[in-house]
Amino acid sequence: MERFMNLASYREILFWDVRSGGAGIEMKTSLRGLQELEYCAEKTGCRLEIQAYGGLPEKCKRLRGRQAFTAGVLFFAAALYILSSFVWVVRVEGNERLSTEEILEVCDSVSLRPGAWKAHVDTEAVTQALLAEFSDISWVSVGIRGTDATVKLAETIEKPEVVDKETPCDVIAQKDGVIQQITVERGTPLVEAGDVVQAGDVLISSEIQVGVEGEEMHSEYVAAAGSIQARTWQKMTEELPLQEKVKVYEDGQKSNRVWIFGDWTVDWIRPNMSEECDRVVIGEETPGLGDWKLPFTVREEVWKPYVWEEKTRTVEEAKAELEALCRQKAEESLETGASVEQMEMTYEVYTDRVRAECMLTLSEPIGIIQKKGL
Amino acid sequence: MGLGKKMAEKLALPKEVVLDLPLISLIGQEEVTVENHKGLMEYSAEQVRIGTGGGSLRIVGEQLELKQMSAALIVVKGRLERLEFLR
Repeated sequence: MERFMNLASYREILFWDVRSGGAGIEMKTSLRGLQELEYCAEKTGCRLEIQAYGGLPEKCKRLRGRQAFTAGVLFFAAALYILSSFVWVVRVEGNERLSTEEILEVCDSVSLRPGAWKAHVDTEAVTQALLAEFSDISWVSVGIRGTDATVKLAETIEKPEVVDKETPCDVIAQKDGVIQQITVERGTPLVEAGDVVQAGDVLISSEIQVGVEGEEMHSEYVAAAGSIQARTWQKMTEELPLQEKVKVYEDGQKSNRVWIFGDWTVDWIRPNMSEECDRVVIGEETPGLGDWKLPFTVREEVWKPYVWEEKTRTVEEAKAELEALCRQKAEESLETGASVEQMEMTYEVYTDRVRAECMLTLSEPIGIIQKKGL
Repeated sequence: MGLGKKMAEKLALPKEVVLDLPLISLIGQEEVTVENHKGLMEYSAEQVRIGTGGGSLRIVGEQLELKQMSAALIVVKGRLERLEFLR
């Protein structure tokens, strides 16, 4: 027996898992090794007995009789191959100032998105599109590994804000108003608190007088800078009808689920709604495990039924609503540093509507820089 | 000390190559690998004897199996108890 094994190993026959069983031994070998082992057994006076066949070739042989199982295995292999032909996740690395959403939007425009066919993704086109779209990107690399696409990028160093202090310029008024406060950083102030100014008036001049006291002075021009707060007035007109149709939501809202595969939306099972209704999107979710996302999104919606109802408001109610509306619009239109000082409302009442005129008194910065000579 | 042994020590050469000795690796009490062997001399579930350049190596244990065997190495697994060199 030992001679048999020595001869087999000398002839470089592959065998393993040798166990002594009864008077002989059991071992595993390859199909090719089996023929060689027969020769070794003959040479050493051993008897060779095949107990069983196993391994992949044997399993394949057995599968020939089981068509459904074989079809299942082939289907699974095909499904695995097809599913691995899609991009499932797009990652963006290296962005600090640029948002991931912006970059993904550009990638989407050149066919790189979760659910895209890998063969249709041109990584060079994605690189070019990103470089063309964002001037802040100095380097981009787009790679697809497995089902993950990774966009690696490097942003340029942020350009510092250059304050031009060399070109002579004036600070002029952009609106009519009464100066409340003036603070000059550079230049010569031409107005003071309480002065009435018109749009275009120079508030801080770029011309400054330089020289020793008692001697003849000469003019030099600088880039004037400073802040000027002024009281300004603004007129606003709004009107509201005394009767109008409004939407009134009713009970009986229903939820709906929409499946989104790339550009393709599947919404087969819809709620049965007889009335008019608004579709409100509650949220979207891409199912997956960890970072591994499936190539579709599920959108949750709520369908809210409504009816149109005639709404009547009194003149007083309309006035109150108009005042609130004017205040809201005034506050929305305010710029940085501006505030509403006073609001005067005057109303005109018609048979079907109320018209309001609102005079706003604002306190706001009115200085803007204008280059000298323009 | 033989010339080969001296040379192997001075030049830091692998002794198992220069002196044609077995290289034996043990994994706990579970597995032993014998490289550079001269063939199997005896095989049973309780005892395996392997010929080597330094005499025969006897491995004693329980449920011994030949996990792998080739011209270059023999791997024996089982519950190992003793390893002895018989001259």
